[in-house]
Amino acid sequence: MASAVAVTDASFETDVLQSEVPVLVDFWAPWCGPCRMVAPVVDEIAEQYAGKLKVVKLNTDDNPNVASQFGIRSIPTLMIFKGGNKVDVVVGAVPKATLANTIEKYL
Amino acid sequence: MTQTASTESDRGKNKASNKSFEAMRKFAETYAKRTGTYFCSDPKITNAVIEGLAKHKDDLGAPLCPCRYYEDKQAEVENTYWNCPCVPMRERKECHCLLFLTEDNPFVGTKQDLEIVEVDYDDE
Repeated sequence: MASAVAVTDASFETDVLQSEVPVLVDFWAPWCGPCRMVAPVVDEIAEQYAGKLKVVKLNTDDNPNVASQFGIRSIPTLMIFKGGNKVDVVVGAVPKATLANTIEKYL
Repeated sequence: MTQTASTESDRGKNKASNKSFEAMRKFAETYAKRTGTYFCSDPKITNAVIEGLAKHKDDLGAPLCPCRYYEDKQAEVENTYWNCPCVPMRERKECHCLLFLTEDNPFVGTKQDLEIVEVDYDDE
């Protein structure tokens, strides 16, 4: 089963900004309850859009540079990148349909 | 650098001390009852948030909200806005961490006492 791959401060440029396909980034932290709620939804999205969308996760505690660069505040924050640019943001634990509808706009 | 180091407490890997966990559990139960709010229907969420609050209490001296990213955690503690119960909770009963939920929230459960469940905080 496809699931979100971890990215870091070091790999963000290559894995996200230079990706050929749009990327969904799940900004999370270990003790954030709603992050645990959204993680399985993100994994389902990875499965559903395999090949068309790359799905990754970034631990904000371990990777403060990227989290600061993109102005992360509330977590979980789900950010969509296309062609090296941030194109959309969804904040908080959301139902799968909400996330899927947002993603469809960029595929 | 705001990185939280991987640590081992008396309760396990990446967990808070027993003293802080119990203090935050009691606070959460009392505060839920006082405000007429309820814990999440999924007890893993509640356990994780209380663990995070207790971990911040251990590491920073105050229960800073674990559902936010801060460039400088110590400065945020001193600023007090996001120390639990945060200003949005106290003013409008808004808890984006899903710890204290009003009855109209889709994730609301029926409990105001914590059901302890095992949550793994090992990375990944």
